[in-house]
Amino acid sequence: MSSARFQPTGPIGRFVHHFEETAIAVLLGLMTLVTFINVVLRYGFDTGLIWGLELVTFLFAWLVLLGISYAVKVTAHLGVDALINGIRPNARKALGILSAILCIVYAFLLLKGAWDYWANFANLPQTSGKWFPTGFEDMKRTSYRAWYTVIDIPLPEWLRWLEPLMNDGDEYEKLPRFIPYAMLPIGMALLLIRFVQAGLRLVTDQTDRLIVSHEAEDAVEDVKHMNCEE
Amino acid sequence: MEVALLFVVIVALLMIGVPIAVSLGLSSILFLLVFSDTSLASIAQSFFQAMAGHYTLLAIPFFILASSFMSTGGVAKRIIRFAIAIVGHFPGGLAIAGVFACMLFAALSGSSPATVVAIGSIVIAGMRQVGYSKDFAAGVIANAGTLGILIPPSIVMVVYASATDVSVGRMFLAGVIPGLMAGTMLMIAIYVIARVKNLPKGEWKGWKEVVDAGLEAIWGLLLIVIILGGIYGGIFTPTEAAAVAAVYSFLIANFVYRDMGIFAKSAPLAGNFAPITVLGGVAAGIIIWLVFDISLGTATLIGAALAAVLAVFETLRRGDLPVPRYIIGDMGRMIATVFHKDTKDTLFDAGKMTITLMFIIANALILKHVLTDEQIPQQITEVMLASGFGPVMFLVVVNVILLIGGQFMEPSGLIVIVAPLVFPIAIELGIDPIHLGIIMVVNMEIGMITPPVGLNLFVTSGVAGMPMMRVVRAALPFLTVLFVFLIMVTYIPILSTFLPTYFMGPEIITK
Repeated sequence: MSSARFQPTGPIGRFVHHFEETAIAVLLGLMTLVTFINVVLRYGFDTGLIWGLELVTFLFAWLVLLGISYAVKVTAHLGVDALINGIRPNARKALGILSAILCIVYAFLLLKGAWDYWANFANLPQTSGKWFPTGFEDMKRTSYRAWYTVIDIPLPEWLRWLEPLMNDGDEYEKLPRFIPYAMLPIGMALLLIRFVQAGLRLVTDQTDRLIVSHEAEDAVEDVKHMNCEE
Repeated sequence: MEVALLFVVIVALLMIGVPIAVSLGLSSILFLLVFSDTSLASIAQSFFQAMAGHYTLLAIPFFILASSFMSTGGVAKRIIRFAIAIVGHFPGGLAIAGVFACMLFAALSGSSPATVVAIGSIVIAGMRQVGYSKDFAAGVIANAGTLGILIPPSIVMVVYASATDVSVGRMFLAGVIPGLMAGTMLMIAIYVIARVKNLPKGEWKGWKEVVDAGLEAIWGLLLIVIILGGIYGGIFTPTEAAAVAAVYSFLIANFVYRDMGIFAKSAPLAGNFAPITVLGGVAAGIIIWLVFDISLGTATLIGAALAAVLAVFETLRRGDLPVPRYIIGDMGRMIATVFHKDTKDTLFDAGKMTITLMFIIANALILKHVLTDEQIPQQITEVMLASGFGPVMFLVVVNVILLIGGQFMEPSGLIVIVAPLVFPIAIELGIDPIHLGIIMVVNMEIGMITPPVGLNLFVTSGVAGMPMMRVVRAALPFLTVLFVFLIMVTYIPILSTFLPTYFMGPEIITK
């Protein structure tokens, strides 16, 4: 409504913006293609990619995990704006900053959780503490879990160099789990950064909200001129 | 009691402008950390599993993608032309055609706001030109647009099916009769108003226009045949059907309608030759494969050969000669379309919508986790049964909860939260799960156009460029029609259960 469309600035900003949009498009395109090819293979050639479904679900997770931080950047997340539309700008700014702080807390907690969940799969230590990371836990014998693999996706040959590094030289039959799950901590870290940036934009009055009220807001802007009040 | 606090916190966060997803997620995480010994790691895991572990939800991005390809302006225009050709000559014809167009468009798209934008932007302007008041036009479209989530394919139904483990196919079938009925009731209401108020009617342009417009629109409308036929024919799972629908929409938008992609700017050099051969070949191949007992590869080759012959005739009929150089060039450009900017933009738009939707659903799943951990559904069931609630009273309560919730919440997120709460009670009371699903969807619809903050009211006010309060007043007369419809759907289960039972056998209910 009142937040203008996001425009990236500077060469790095434009590159990151372009990269994020392309990644979102490519991930969704690949999901569609793999699912479609599997249907064709099943009926056309009585065969199929056994790992197809698992790959698609991981791509789906990557799409969303990578995308939520992008959606914060361009203010695309849905929310309720009935109250904040009806109050004075000062109050709106105060509530906006409060919301941003809550979002930062949320992203921070999930980032800690994401790291703790992922770390052992990559032979790295989890953090201690229930709410806040108070330090790293000691690595126990059972903490080295890089030998965990996914169910169906085989390890691509060009990743064989991981075996001595992560798995004591033992052969990986399938893709090790830390690869697909890595997007979890990465995505949450990006989300935290984007919420901090959004908070700063609120403080400096570059925007007055973190949300849009419905998914079609851009599309409505595009067609508004067709029925303007005369 | 703690759970009541949880809901208070969620609503408070929503009101101050925290994104829906974060409101649900943060409250649930805090609740889990304070009142249970759940670790943040396991919450992060369930967040990941929301995408990686739910095969049914995987249909959502594909349905969104299919409807994004179909939502290019050209498809909406063709559907509207077809609708006007059929019902435009009745009193209030253009308004009735608007409802009809919304119904057809709902069969291509799973979202209500998208339907309002696509159809409303064109129809409202058109209605004003022929003398309708803007209020009437906006009221009609705001209501008819809600059919987007009732007529299959519907994203909300996919979410309900995933949350309660019923079959997506059944839900889609169950939506057909109520969807047609709601549309028909709206059309009748308009007809009556038009008679009373003497609203303008269009002219009957003859059967030729119906056929011409129909042939133009048919390629888009075939999408629903592919989805429903594929699922009920046992050819695809719903997720696969959605992916196939996405690929089909891509082909239609780029090569048949040419609203986007390479051929949108420069027409193919050899006319329709390449598209006919390739698309017709695949289509003929599939038909041959379905009818005769040969492999799909062979069937497609035969189909392509037949289509090539047809393409030669089509070229000659236009007075051209098939030029191999042009044909090969066109085929090359068809392949290049995959990497065209328009394709990327559509993939990106659909991806973005998927992301915001799944962010809400993933967090709603964390909340659902809290509720089931705390055995809230069981507690509510006990309270309700102990206080002697029968099915009728229970359904009224469900209606009220959803009407209020639908005001604030994105429908899919609301379903994820409410469905597990009311589902066990419904089963206990002997209510059919499919019927319950349709009731919930219809409630969502009405929530979207109930003042003060219905979602579709906002969208319509944006599309029509008029203040919110005027849209509310304009939508009210038709809202009463939908309320009557809600009561009918709620208390006449056969409306929802007839088609799924007829085609797929009676529902087996496991308690």
